[in-house]
Amino acid sequence: MRGWEAQWAELPRYLAAHVELTLLALLIGLAVSLPTGILASRRPGLGRWVLAGASVLQTIPGLALLALMVPALAGLASLTEGLGLGSLPSIGFLPAVLALALYSVLPMLRNTVTGLVGVDPSLIEAARGVGMSPREVLWQVELPLALPTLVAGLRTATVWVVGMATLATPVGGTSLGNPIFAGLQTRNLSAVLLGSAAAAVLAIVLDGIVRLAETGFERRSRARVGAAVALLSALSIAAVGSLAGGEGSGAGREGPPVTIGAKSFTEQYVLAKLLGGVAEGAGAGPVAEVPSLGSTVAFDALVSGELDLYVDYTGTIWATILQREEPGVDRAAVLEEVRTRLEEEHGVVLLAALGFENTYCLAMRGAEAQARGIGRISDLVPIAGELGILGDYEFFERPEWRAIEARYALGFREERAMDASLMYEALRTGSGDVISAYSTDGRIEADGLAVLTDDRGVIPPYDAVVLASRAFVERAPRVAAAMRALAGRIDARAMRRMNAAVDLEGRSPANVAAGWLAACVGTSGVCEAH
Amino acid sequence: MIECRGLTRRYEGRAVIDAVDLDVARGELLVLIGASGSGKTTLLKMLNRLIEPSAGTIRIDGHDTADSPPHTLRRRIGYGAQRAGLLPHLDVAANVGLTPRLLGWDAQRIAARVDALLARVQLDPATYRHRDVTGLSGGEQQRVSLARALAAEPPLLLLDEPFGALDPVTRDALQEELRGLREELGLTVVFVTHDMNEALLLGDRIAFLEGGRIVRVDTPAALLRNADSPGIDAFLRAPRRQAERIEALLGAGGEGA
Repeated sequence: MRGWEAQWAELPRYLAAHVELTLLALLIGLAVSLPTGILASRRPGLGRWVLAGASVLQTIPGLALLALMVPALAGLASLTEGLGLGSLPSIGFLPAVLALALYSVLPMLRNTVTGLVGVDPSLIEAARGVGMSPREVLWQVELPLALPTLVAGLRTATVWVVGMATLATPVGGTSLGNPIFAGLQTRNLSAVLLGSAAAAVLAIVLDGIVRLAETGFERRSRARVGAAVALLSALSIAAVGSLAGGEGSGAGREGPPVTIGAKSFTEQYVLAKLLGGVAEGAGAGPVAEVPSLGSTVAFDALVSGELDLYVDYTGTIWATILQREEPGVDRAAVLEEVRTRLEEEHGVVLLAALGFENTYCLAMRGAEAQARGIGRISDLVPIAGELGILGDYEFFERPEWRAIEARYALGFREERAMDASLMYEALRTGSGDVISAYSTDGRIEADGLAVLTDDRGVIPPYDAVVLASRAFVERAPRVAAAMRALAGRIDARAMRRMNAAVDLEGRSPANVAAGWLAACVGTSGVCEAH
Repeated sequence: MIECRGLTRRYEGRAVIDAVDLDVARGELLVLIGASGSGKTTLLKMLNRLIEPSAGTIRIDGHDTADSPPHTLRRRIGYGAQRAGLLPHLDVAANVGLTPRLLGWDAQRIAARVDALLARVQLDPATYRHRDVTGLSGGEQQRVSLARALAAEPPLLLLDEPFGALDPVTRDALQEELRGLREELGLTVVFVTHDMNEALLLGDRIAFLEGGRIVRVDTPAALLRNADSPGIDAFLRAPRRQAERIEALLGAGGEGA
């Protein structure tokens, strides 16, 4: 357990963002599901369709729904821009809040319909009989009588949304998912626990407030309803207030603000801090970080101008952005083509190749590789049928894997995808024999793994490159120049050591990045902190 | 007071109420009676447009009921539902005060009216005003329902089998209550029941329904003298026989004394 103090210090910001995200999503969800539910309860045919639609929405896994919001909003943004209505942000708060709102609709909608349909028809007739108009019957009889069911739906939605909101982190929304995702990637369990516990406490508190309001309505107690409303307002004001305060860190700095993205693994966290430090050194204004982004989310955000800088890899861009089916093999040629085409087709500037590759590679337990005489991927061919291979979430879907599989004619006994940080653990404990390791992973040396040579040359090069939007380069030329100067300064060994410092020695990414900056700024050539 | 002409209600082509003509005089208590499915409740609910007529007209005090929105029409007509129909999320006073509140009376006037009515239906206002309606007995619920129907001082009262589910002693007490109220307030009442005893005891006139048509409208005395149809005769047989038995028992008791 480490880093408690650092996590505690950041907690209010994550919590505030989480509260804001949750409350707004619930509010939107309620605003959608209440009228829809009322309408659906009056037309049984329509009601069936609406409920079926909401159920289908619910079966989309939460993370997928959030991720789908990003391209959906990006599409919408190009539409609104085309209409001259300005642009919509496609990462961060907006996609998260919309996806969460959608997710909250089903329980509230279902309970609205169930509650209203369940009201005794003889009471509705009595209400009409004493002279209530349809609207008065709805507001004074049907809704009050359906209230307990409505509130039960709201409570379910509240607990779901608080939990789901942690998944806002991968689409760039700040939430209690930040310490959880970062902690998972950097093996910082205390951060994971802190984030989870805070989310649980928040769920309990919000549920309590909703219950307070419910009993208030039931007992017609203004004090209770008032207390619930006051608590909720206090919570939202505190959330908004602390966010406004929190975002001011470094706000006093002169110079162009910089927003730096990071994908969700250790190297990216370290490099984001490192780029941040370099940018500050070059006179940048406030530096903001958007951590734990999905792979294409980061690129899209750069193109749309929501990110200024992040580090990507030529092989990834080659396959996913340039959509090249056949793997490129020549490292320099790939780098050049990526540089040219990103600039021409996407308005993205490749500022520097840092000097190392983080490629997918196949790795085995060192002792076993030695004993069986395996040093090349070709050596696996005769024995693959008895081996199991483990990959990260995307590996088996990637063109690289298809190329390896096809060109080496490998047929493994079993393929399993899992979280990258658990892959090494699984290899160590013998739950698999071969893994899709990353060549800069600190655990390769620490675990004594053997990296198999790609003897048929099918794995494309994965040079780490600093990408920036063209607009940013024009806006902050000094920062861009400082980034260009990073070319060739970090080699694979240096990166592997920095990764190991986080993953294995338990140092924070910020601390490791600061070490590099202290040792290397002002020097030249490949540099490594000691 | 009420004139119905050619009143018809069809469900899926079948007439539940079939070209009914009916007049109710001011201050009269008219009982609608008939077997289950004869259309008596449907006819009653058409008078305040809880059920809309398929054809025909209803005039109340000369005004066609189709001319005003149904809810404003109903605020001028007292309505007592079959199962009391008290709203469970409101207390006794709020239930009684519903129609005056919809009419926009001020709170003080409503409170005074509610207390007066509760006292009138034999429910002590101080005890009952803030009681939860779900805790009331069947008789108490019907008293509250009656008070609610009368709250906005309507000249016309529609009651749908209000005493059907009550024990005989309570039913008798409430029938007496109703008799007193209508005399005191000069109410016009249309009263649905399937109980001929109740019809004979309460009604100024009784309208007998069969298959959606009114087959006869007459005073209780005239009906008893001459049933003139097998359906009506069947309805009258029970009260006649009961009356004869009771008379016989009283006679036998008299001889023994």
